[in-house]
Amino acid sequence: MSETPLVHVVDDDESLRNSLLRLLRAAGFEACGYGSTGEFLLNPLPDRLGCVLLDLRLPGPSGLELQAALHRQGVALPVIFLTGHGDVASSVQAMQAGAADFLTKPVTRDTLFGALQSALTRDARERAARVEADELRRRVDSLTPRERGVFDAVACGKLNKQIADELGMAERTVKLHRAHVMAKLEVGSPAELGRLAERLRLLSDP
Amino acid sequence: MQPVVIRVIVGLVAGVGLAAIAAAETSNVLVLYSNGRLIPGNVEGDRGLHQAVRAPADRPVTLFYEFLDAPRFGGPAFDQIVASYLRGKYASRPPRVIVAVREEALGFLLRHRLELFARAPVVHVGIDRLSLRSISPLPADVIGVPVRYDFAPTIDLALRWHPRARRLVIVTGAAEPDRAFEAQLRTEVSSVRDRATAEFLAGLPTREVLRRLGELGDDAVVFTPGTFQDGEGRDLTPYESVRAMAAASRAPVYGFFSSQIGSGIVGGYMPSFEAIGRQAGQVVSDLLAGADPRSLRLPEAVPQALNVDWRQIRRWGIDEGAIPRDVVVHFKAPTLLEAYRHEAIAAAGVLALQAGLIGWLLVEHRRRRLAESAEHTRRLELAHASRLAVAGELTGSIAHEINQPLGAILSNADAADLILEAGGDRRDELRGILADIRRDDLRASEVIRRLRTLLAKHEVERKPFDLNDAVREIESVLGAEARRRHSTLDVRPAPAPVAVVGDRIEIQQVLINVVLNALDSMADRPEEQRTVVVSVENVSAGADVAVRDRGHGIAPEHLPRLFDPFFTTKRDGMGLGLSIARTVIEAHGGRVWAENGSDEGAVFHVELPAARADGTSSPPPA
Repeated sequence: MSETPLVHVVDDDESLRNSLLRLLRAAGFEACGYGSTGEFLLNPLPDRLGCVLLDLRLPGPSGLELQAALHRQGVALPVIFLTGHGDVASSVQAMQAGAADFLTKPVTRDTLFGALQSALTRDARERAARVEADELRRRVDSLTPRERGVFDAVACGKLNKQIADELGMAERTVKLHRAHVMAKLEVGSPAELGRLAERLRLLSDP
Repeated sequence: MQPVVIRVIVGLVAGVGLAAIAAAETSNVLVLYSNGRLIPGNVEGDRGLHQAVRAPADRPVTLFYEFLDAPRFGGPAFDQIVASYLRGKYASRPPRVIVAVREEALGFLLRHRLELFARAPVVHVGIDRLSLRSISPLPADVIGVPVRYDFAPTIDLALRWHPRARRLVIVTGAAEPDRAFEAQLRTEVSSVRDRATAEFLAGLPTREVLRRLGELGDDAVVFTPGTFQDGEGRDLTPYESVRAMAAASRAPVYGFFSSQIGSGIVGGYMPSFEAIGRQAGQVVSDLLAGADPRSLRLPEAVPQALNVDWRQIRRWGIDEGAIPRDVVVHFKAPTLLEAYRHEAIAAAGVLALQAGLIGWLLVEHRRRRLAESAEHTRRLELAHASRLAVAGELTGSIAHEINQPLGAILSNADAADLILEAGGDRRDELRGILADIRRDDLRASEVIRRLRTLLAKHEVERKPFDLNDAVREIESVLGAEARRRHSTLDVRPAPAPVAVVGDRIEIQQVLINVVLNALDSMADRPEEQRTVVVSVENVSAGADVAVRDRGHGIAPEHLPRLFDPFFTTKRDGMGLGLSIARTVIEAHGGRVWAENGSDEGAVFHVELPAARADGTSSPPPA
């Protein structure tokens, strides 16, 4: 995780926004500020490790609405809410929608950094998982339909003979496809192949 | 020829008879004075005489006056001239009664009445008892009440009033009556010989008398009957002589004649000339009515009374407690009560009534003021309660507004901390941070100050202010609250300043209340519709602030009760905000009312009278 995390700060209060940006940068983060939901959405979002520090109350669409919009767009950046006067209803709503944390202004450095740390850890983990899943999918996607059938059957722990019967092919042909699958998926043993299949199921089925 | 003569004689007789009848029909009274006409004693006596002479119903009385001008004139030759003068003068109007005033007149009449008016009775007036005795016996038809000139009571009184007095200085003149007084005084003064020594200044020149009087000390008291003539043969009236003595004397001067009161004498026991005149007038009336002079019962003498000049009493410091109660006081300015008793009683009554009325009004006024003050206090307290309620309502936005700068300060401080830990020369950055911290700190305290001003109790003041500014400030207070409620607060000041007079904060509190109500009314409306427009306009009556919302409007049946105390349509409302608002605005001479908007929502109007050039507000609109 050598990449510097990028923290997005969305707050209409310029003074507060600047102080947060200043603090984050002093702590070694890369930070970027936005005065409103719209401003944030209009800027291209780089695919980087990071999170969003979001004011609950914003002119125009609120923080909760931005959270919902990001979710719809499939942006997985963790969202930490910051609010001047947090009411129970909105904090519950935010957490249910998957907010990483819900902080009340004024927020101390330790609280903020603690929340950031866990959010970024989570983002890093999710990002890593997404990378792995993507790689696995790419490999799986390179299989021919026949090879895919053999892979699925092997992943289920079936023997070559059973597979040959089910797919209506010679046992030798099954062995050949199996060798191709193991080469394309870059695994060295049937056990490894089984773990990969398991992992793939987990990733595509969260 | 004869009948003609007879007719003429008859005519003449008839004419003379008519004249006689005419004369007889009027009762003539001749008053003969011994001395001059303007002697005060004569004037006073004449007043009494005049008052007392009663004419019988069928016969009017005419008084004739003659003056012998003694002592300037006198002697047998003068007697003869006067006698023939009177005979000639009164031949056609014979007096029925003759009044002789003082000794000279009585003496003259006793000598000449038989040749002049033999049948007319004589009433003598103002003659001293003692001198009357020397004249007696008088004829039976010469009657009168003698006067008592007792000097001893006056001398005795003066010695009591001036306890330090040891010298009695007695001034008398050189004329015949003067010497008679002197003789009497010498007799009477002997009664006080053991208490004081008597010194007589008798028959001295006026200048000498006055010089001697001017040298007296406070151990002396002066007595004088007045002088008719001084030692140099100068004729004086007793009044003039006494006045000169009183003016020159350094000791109090006492006299014996009421006519001298006012000349400067302290006073004394003296018969009143007016009383003497009155007494004589009664005798004259009785005689005119046909009474027989011999049968009339007359008092022994006209009584003496103590007369004092109040100014002299004060001048010589005489103890008022030592003054007898039956004193006749002269020259004492009568008190208001004495002079105008009835008027004074009436005035006192009116005053008492007025005082009572004023007292009652004052009590009423005080009661009302207390009530007003209590009412005022209650209003202040209610207003305060309503402000606290507003504050409660604004808690969210207040916390937000204060937490923003506080959050910024904290983050800036944390950032500075990290920068310092990291080392290196980043002073410019740190300076920027400190500047931001300061700015945010001020921002937070400004929020608190503004809220304090608006929410704290304060003394009501009356000052001119611009309604536009006041409304703009409301925007700064309520802007955050409006955002919190996802509503828009649109403030539209008038293009030109709108000057009004009053308590700016009270007016702002009212407007805040109205705006919060407007925000409340739109809570269940779609966000894009939640707009409150606050506009300031100059109108003919002054200034109008209209607060328009886009809520559901006001139910028509609620409109008339909207500003009543404890009327509310909110579930948790107290129903005080608008009633206080109305009280406040009416106290400013303005009015507040609500109506429904033409298509949606409600409009609240706060109308205030315009400020006049002198800084006061114009009368409230009718």
